[in-house]
Amino acid sequence: MSDYVSPVGQGIPRLETRDKITGKAVYADDMSRPDMLFGVIVPSPHAHARIAGYDVSAALALDGVVAVVTGEDIGDHKIGPFIKDETALAVGKVRYMGEPVAAVAAVDLETAKQAARLIDIAYEELPAVFDTDAAMAEDAPVLHENSGDYIKVFEADSDGNAMAIIEIVEGDVASAWENCAAIVEGSYETQAQCHSYMEPCSALAEIDSNGKITIWSSNQSVFHVQAFTADALGIPMSKVRCVTPQVGGAFGGKMEQTVQPAAAALARATGRPVKVTLTREQDFEMIRARHPGKVWMKTGAAADGTLLAREVRIVLDAGAYADDSPGVAGIAALFCRGPYRIENVSIESRPIYTNKLRSGAFRGFGGPQVAIAGETQIDEIADRLGLDPIDVRLKNAVRPGEEWMIGVALNKAGLSECLNRVRAASGWDEKRKAAPNGSGRRRGIGVACIPHISGVLTSGAIVRILEDGTAVLNTGAVDNGQGSDTVLVQICAAALGLDVDRVSVATPDTDGSPYNWGTTASRVTYMAGRAVVAASEDAVNQLKQRAAIMMECAEEDLELRDGGRIGIKGVPEAEVGFRDISGFSHWVAGGPVIGTNSLAYDGPDFDPKRGFLRGFPFGKIGAWIFAAQAVEVELDEATGRITPLKIWSAHDIGKAINPTAVEGQIQGGIVQGLGYALCEEMVWDSGRLANPSFMDYKIPGIADVPPQIETILVEDPDEDGPFGAKGIGEPPIVGIAPAISNAVAHAAGIRLRRLPMTPERVLRTLKE
Amino acid sequence: MEFHGPSTVEEAVSLLASDEEARCLAGGATLVAMMNADLVMPSALVSLRHIEELRGIFTDSGGGLRVGAMTTHREVAEADGLAGAHALLSDTARAIGHPAIRNMGTVGGSIGHGDPQADYPGALAALDAAVEVRGPDGTRPVAAEDFFVDYLETALLPGELIAAVTLPPPPAGAFGAYEKFARVEGDYATVSVAAVVAMEDGRCSYARVALGSCGPTPVRAEAAEDRLTGSALDDADIAEAAAILREECDPVDDVRGSGEYRMMLVEPLLGRALRAAAAKGGAR
Repeated sequence: MSDYVSPVGQGIPRLETRDKITGKAVYADDMSRPDMLFGVIVPSPHAHARIAGYDVSAALALDGVVAVVTGEDIGDHKIGPFIKDETALAVGKVRYMGEPVAAVAAVDLETAKQAARLIDIAYEELPAVFDTDAAMAEDAPVLHENSGDYIKVFEADSDGNAMAIIEIVEGDVASAWENCAAIVEGSYETQAQCHSYMEPCSALAEIDSNGKITIWSSNQSVFHVQAFTADALGIPMSKVRCVTPQVGGAFGGKMEQTVQPAAAALARATGRPVKVTLTREQDFEMIRARHPGKVWMKTGAAADGTLLAREVRIVLDAGAYADDSPGVAGIAALFCRGPYRIENVSIESRPIYTNKLRSGAFRGFGGPQVAIAGETQIDEIADRLGLDPIDVRLKNAVRPGEEWMIGVALNKAGLSECLNRVRAASGWDEKRKAAPNGSGRRRGIGVACIPHISGVLTSGAIVRILEDGTAVLNTGAVDNGQGSDTVLVQICAAALGLDVDRVSVATPDTDGSPYNWGTTASRVTYMAGRAVVAASEDAVNQLKQRAAIMMECAEEDLELRDGGRIGIKGVPEAEVGFRDISGFSHWVAGGPVIGTNSLAYDGPDFDPKRGFLRGFPFGKIGAWIFAAQAVEVELDEATGRITPLKIWSAHDIGKAINPTAVEGQIQGGIVQGLGYALCEEMVWDSGRLANPSFMDYKIPGIADVPPQIETILVEDPDEDGPFGAKGIGEPPIVGIAPAISNAVAHAAGIRLRRLPMTPERVLRTLKE
Repeated sequence: MEFHGPSTVEEAVSLLASDEEARCLAGGATLVAMMNADLVMPSALVSLRHIEELRGIFTDSGGGLRVGAMTTHREVAEADGLAGAHALLSDTARAIGHPAIRNMGTVGGSIGHGDPQADYPGALAALDAAVEVRGPDGTRPVAAEDFFVDYLETALLPGELIAAVTLPPPPAGAFGAYEKFARVEGDYATVSVAAVVAMEDGRCSYARVALGSCGPTPVRAEAAEDRLTGSALDDADIAEAAAILREECDPVDDVRGSGEYRMMLVEPLLGRALRAAAAKGGAR
């Protein structure tokens, strides 16, 4: 018998770990090409201004400068994933301080930096708006005067600086309030958060004699890079090839364009390879951030805690360009009800243009901005009704077999299990009963629940069996450092009955990889994983077909056996190994085995009869995932500091393909959530970002993280997921801020409604 | 940009004196970061790394302490056997940045930057330290309180460098404590308090207190120290001393907190620093 152990469920180390630890791993900025130039981007010094003219003569006259490109050179080719409203270099107007206006390529970085300072651009300043209230005022300056002409990939109303208005209505909120025994209402404010990936944005572009541009860059989807670069330069996608070396983190910040179009424009202008790598300050000022949010919410419940109605108005500060804002605003509108059955909802969500850095995708994607409102209101309701916060959540938690969220059928839902596990592990009932300790340092515990998805859009996979019977997997999915290459190889190896070291993983390359929408939306394990299983099964079927010829039997009589063999059912000794089959197929008959699969998310859809949904910019979404998180805190009443003491995080993940990697994702998300909850905040002084460095913008370090984060994996396999798996990337960040706010309420009876909950804000609230 | 690596203080001083745009390079923890951010562009760097007499921690026969300017924060943090209140210097060094910063950064580099948010200035003020300055005209001692002139401004003249900081013998029976409040571990202080306290029969017999991040230089108030001396360091004593200290403060509003918040922190942090220092003396 085989001593084969399936790689699925094994917490094996990441495939690339050794290279990263020893410094062998290659990131975009580590790369060099013969004759390579260095590119530097010139940022706008104004928040809102008309470009009156360019004088690049002094820069071009500098020794070592090879080319300068401006918006005039690359043309008015608009890009944007939802609304095509920006150009790779500003054309006509600038709309935020830091916006790329021109780019220069020179023989070395120092010369390029010096040349960038010599580029003289004349501006006529325009009135600017720096927050959503000012942008929504009747006489506010409009950032995009011709927004009506923009191409939109979805249907939504817009209004002045409101780029989209998203509405969800179910039931009848107005008449539901009168049946409520408790109604809570409040306004909540959240901040801009920096993605703080370790690797600043970088791209190296090179052009061949046929005008085809190859781009190595840090990104979340080579296919996005290909599409927006082709769009930005006005060239066919067949003239752009995108490749990915190692990526040093992304978290949503590298989902759309960064510096790739500028690098490509410089390569085209010079005919030479050009590398553009941002400094940390430029990366802060130029790329994107999490949307600041203003949320008004009202929730009502019956005396037994049954949630009856919720009304929500969401305003997101989108910054100067739409980027992923319509998507984020849509997901915020969808998730603001929390993972609960609420029959009456009325929700409106508006992303608003302002003269600041664009906001975009960021782990949680609209969830964190509404969770602080929704999950603290559940606690306030519990408090009013004299009920336990976990009991109220369990009463309303969506359950398997139900329809929820505009009539979507829910096959699996592990939320109640997550809540029960967190309750038991944290000693919740004891800790909630404990009388608040005296003044000075107070302790409290709070909980929050999270809904998310892991199924959306499209993916593919190719599994080739090599001549010796080993395999190579190609999905086009970019590993951002979270471990998807390892997980996808584990899935492929398990589906083929091979060990992990018998499966190679191909680097994402638009010339050779099947399409993958992106490493985003917690979707790679679920979506690419499904494609990998199906492509592996396709390969196995082809192996059986070849084996049937070799063994002179019917294909239906054959079975896949562990360790890379095909055998005749019921006849243990009758079998051939993959090596023999592949040799046969390559050199005798059948042809090389190439298993493929292509899929679009195909789960249950919204039911238009169940509610009104307008302006939502995604098609089918699903493969719902749920989580419950609890945080115990200590509050220092003298300084206002909140110290998280211990965190419990339970996740409905279907199946952990690699439990170690899953726990890593949970812990990483929690640390990023602690930063969002307690200390991270991008601050603007009018149009100028005041803290564009890690000296002034602080993320938590190891000493700021509680010594214990207990991860709890709730495994109830999903019918469609690969080996039952669903996603994990985003939920861990979302519940931390509301759980902490709830814990502080438990400790000291105060309600914190603004993030981050800095010691100063806490102390002021305590003194109120 | 030129780079020099002299092996004597005299060579370094003459290099600095010959070029006003030249800068001393100590550990580089601050200067190199500022150069990378294009905030300073020196014409030359004079590295002090190879000057042996600038390193090390020495106690003299009278009990005074001399810490060479090129001594790293880590070396100060790990210095064993510093007597009484001198150990405050080690406590302070342990609160600076992260291990990587403590391995690179130096005493001289830190105080030479003149940043009132840094950790050493307050501790030096509370310890009655002096800065040993070397220049073309020889050596001159500058009291810590006079050394810090304004925000990012020190008493150093062109051509001068910091050779060491010196501490008088520790006050009898006194112990120090450093209370630092920062947004996250390793950040600059939002407010810091360095305190040196001696207790006799439950009464404070000696008190020195300096606040960091509360003005352009470390903040001391003799009246506050007088108010504490002779008291039992109870809540009212601390509240009144804090009120006197606050009169001397002129804090800024920045990303680490508003000036008003810094003022709110003075009293609780002062109390913690004083009580921690007093507790080190045990039941005297």
